[in-house]
Amino acid sequence: MPDLIPFAQWLRATPASEWINSSTWVWPLCESLHFMGLSLLIGITGFFDVRLMGFFRRVSVEAARALMPFALVGFAINIATGLVFLTGLPEQYVSNRVWWFKVGFIVLAGLNAGFYETRLSANVLAPDPHGETPRAAKLVGFVSLVSWFAVLYCGRMLAFIGDAF
Amino acid sequence: MTDLLSSIEGSTLAAWVRESPSIWAYATILTLHTVGLAIVVGANVVVDLRLLGWAKGIPTESLRALFPIMWSGFAINFASGVLLFMADATTKSGQRVFYVKLACLTLALLAARTISKRLRQPDGEAVPGDLRALAAVSLLLWAGAIVAGRLMAYL
Repeated sequence: MPDLIPFAQWLRATPASEWINSSTWVWPLCESLHFMGLSLLIGITGFFDVRLMGFFRRVSVEAARALMPFALVGFAINIATGLVFLTGLPEQYVSNRVWWFKVGFIVLAGLNAGFYETRLSANVLAPDPHGETPRAAKLVGFVSLVSWFAVLYCGRMLAFIGDAF
Repeated sequence: MTDLLSSIEGSTLAAWVRESPSIWAYATILTLHTVGLAIVVGANVVVDLRLLGWAKGIPTESLRALFPIMWSGFAINFASGVLLFMADATTKSGQRVFYVKLACLTLALLAARTISKRLRQPDGEAVPGDLRALAAVSLLLWAGAIVAGRLMAYL
């Protein structure tokens, strides 16, 4: 792990960080939005993941994927609000190993989704949209579901595990 | 009432939730409450967005399969919520925002139950106007429950 403490100390001294910490409403507002974002992200991605795993076959894979833009909205909300938290208390996050696990699971979920979109989606859609999904698709769905819940778990637990907070 | 709340807060179980250094006490219960939230609100979001007209390829009556998942998420949140309340009963019962959360939650669950009943009757191509309105109200109520729940840590 690179030494990010000097960067964290620099970030904490910026006016943006000062503003986040001096405001009474920025933190609770961003937390509320972060929870709405995770509901959008996990709800919609989870629905698609479960379909990829072979459940809900009355819904075609293509139809189950149609809500995915809302999952991306949720992800964007959570990146933005997450950056607010990081800017507010940079040292507490970068020195917390559970936070790095969280980042790792986000990367894993992203690579997994990228693999699906570039290598797999065409095979899954053909030939029968209501049929059994290939084993690779089941695995992708499972990895996605586990990764996003792991992101949530690490995010909530990072205040309790490790020594930063 | 105050006596009852104090004795709940003073119980061995409540003290364990609040004071145990174990990772399985407060930290895990709070995390389970967030896992349940993702399941409950996530499942509702899928149903509500479909009813509001997105992802028309999803047959509306197939959404019924999501309700058992939603209710199991709610079971997690009810159990973890009761424990979290017990740990801090006198403070939480005195918070106005706690009752706002309970009100949003109750109405959102009633909306979900009504929606799930309505989905038993197969409808035509278009989702009826009142069902769309209920879906929109459901989204707002869940957002309200989230904000109120978060504000309990601040107010």
